[in-house]
Amino acid sequence: MKIKDKIILWSRLKSPWLLHFNGGACNGCDIEIVDALTPKYDLERFGAVLKSTPRHADILVASGPMTRQQVKRIKRIYEQMPEPKFVMAVGACACSGGVFDGCYSVVSGIDKVIPVSIYIPGCPVRPEAILDGAVKLLGALEASSK
Amino acid sequence: MTIDPILLALIYILIFPGFIFLTVYGLFLQWFDRKISAVMQNRVGPPWYQALADIIKLLSKEVIIPDACDTVMFKILPYFAIAAVVTAALLLPIWTDALCSFQGDLVVVIYLLTIPTVTFFLAGWSSTSPYATIGSMRVLTQLFAYEVPMMLSLIGPAILAGTWNISEIAGFFTAHKPYMLAQIPAFFVALMALQGKLERVPFDIPHAKNEIVGGQFTEYSGRLLAFFYLAVDMEMVVGAGLINAIFLGATLGTAGILGAVIFLAKTLAIVFLLTLTKVLMGRVRIDQMVRFCWQILAPLSMAQILFDIFLKFRLG
Repeated sequence: MKIKDKIILWSRLKSPWLLHFNGGACNGCDIEIVDALTPKYDLERFGAVLKSTPRHADILVASGPMTRQQVKRIKRIYEQMPEPKFVMAVGACACSGGVFDGCYSVVSGIDKVIPVSIYIPGCPVRPEAILDGAVKLLGALEASSK
Repeated sequence: MTIDPILLALIYILIFPGFIFLTVYGLFLQWFDRKISAVMQNRVGPPWYQALADIIKLLSKEVIIPDACDTVMFKILPYFAIAAVVTAALLLPIWTDALCSFQGDLVVVIYLLTIPTVTFFLAGWSSTSPYATIGSMRVLTQLFAYEVPMMLSLIGPAILAGTWNISEIAGFFTAHKPYMLAQIPAFFVALMALQGKLERVPFDIPHAKNEIVGGQFTEYSGRLLAFFYLAVDMEMVVGAGLINAIFLGATLGTAGILGAVIFLAKTLAIVFLLTLTKVLMGRVRIDQMVRFCWQILAPLSMAQILFDIFLKFRLG
């Protein structure tokens, strides 16, 4: 690997900017995502910052079972993000539909709509799990490029 | 052996204290600001290389240019912002006298520092997205609020020193240090106006992220966004340097390494005050911001000018 690619990879690992998207979640997971950004857990020490526009974000942190109403919106938001981009499915609903699985109004899981890089189960997920997931995603990114 | 003066000027413009120094010190100040506010909020905060990693990552990302936007304007505006800020830095005394210094360079610096704000407005306007448009209108509204108090607060010391030259004002305050104490109200007005110019809390109304997404930079991504962020960081250095030169006597008559150390120490202190303001306060509404600037800051700086005129007559 050339030194330029190494520097770019390093910068990507050290500065993941997040975008939060609620795909019909009950708000439990969303509160926990916000929790992970509070001073107690302090995601900023890994360089993660919550951004509010898809153009600035690297990681789409999506929660909820993905209602049919939200499908075209999450697709559009995903396409608005600049490459390289990753998706974190946060919560049991986002991973597989959870208790809403099979319901007429949901598509059961974000991976039915857009590619997902990492699944974080839990109902709701703990903030530690989100942090652990973020670290593992970055680790996998580092390992896959070697 | 003599060094070619043109080469020396090029080194001044490109390396120290020009482009490269501004980049490095601007990124350092961004980290310093984030770290200090993290410590004040009782958390760990980002590591020292954070600002550098952010910039490199943004530089390596894809640049998306929306179909609806004005492509040429959208692409060239970040470079205009950076160029204006770097040019303003050349007129400030940083480690010794400025590269070029003439009567009226104070006015030139003030207007050069207005150009980045105007490019922010045009950036939001030419992206044509609703959030960016609202953000850019707020940029302009805010510009009309803080620009006048800022200019008035810088006029006071200029009247007292009897010159429009930044280096001569700094020289005056170096020779008459007690007069710095008489400028404290104007100093605070300038700090608050700088906070508004840099669009930081409590005046981060143009890109208030829980109201209007990303404000004027909503549609910017990748390299172009990186240059805008870099311009904001550099503007912080130049703004702190300007306040340092006008109110705190710049290098205090020293030159060389000692002068640079004094510059760094005093700008760090100014940025610390800015960070303190940021952490202590929440965001205000745009009408509250305009009212604060016109009803408190502007009269305060006018009173300071009046006081300076009387002091000047007293001195003879």
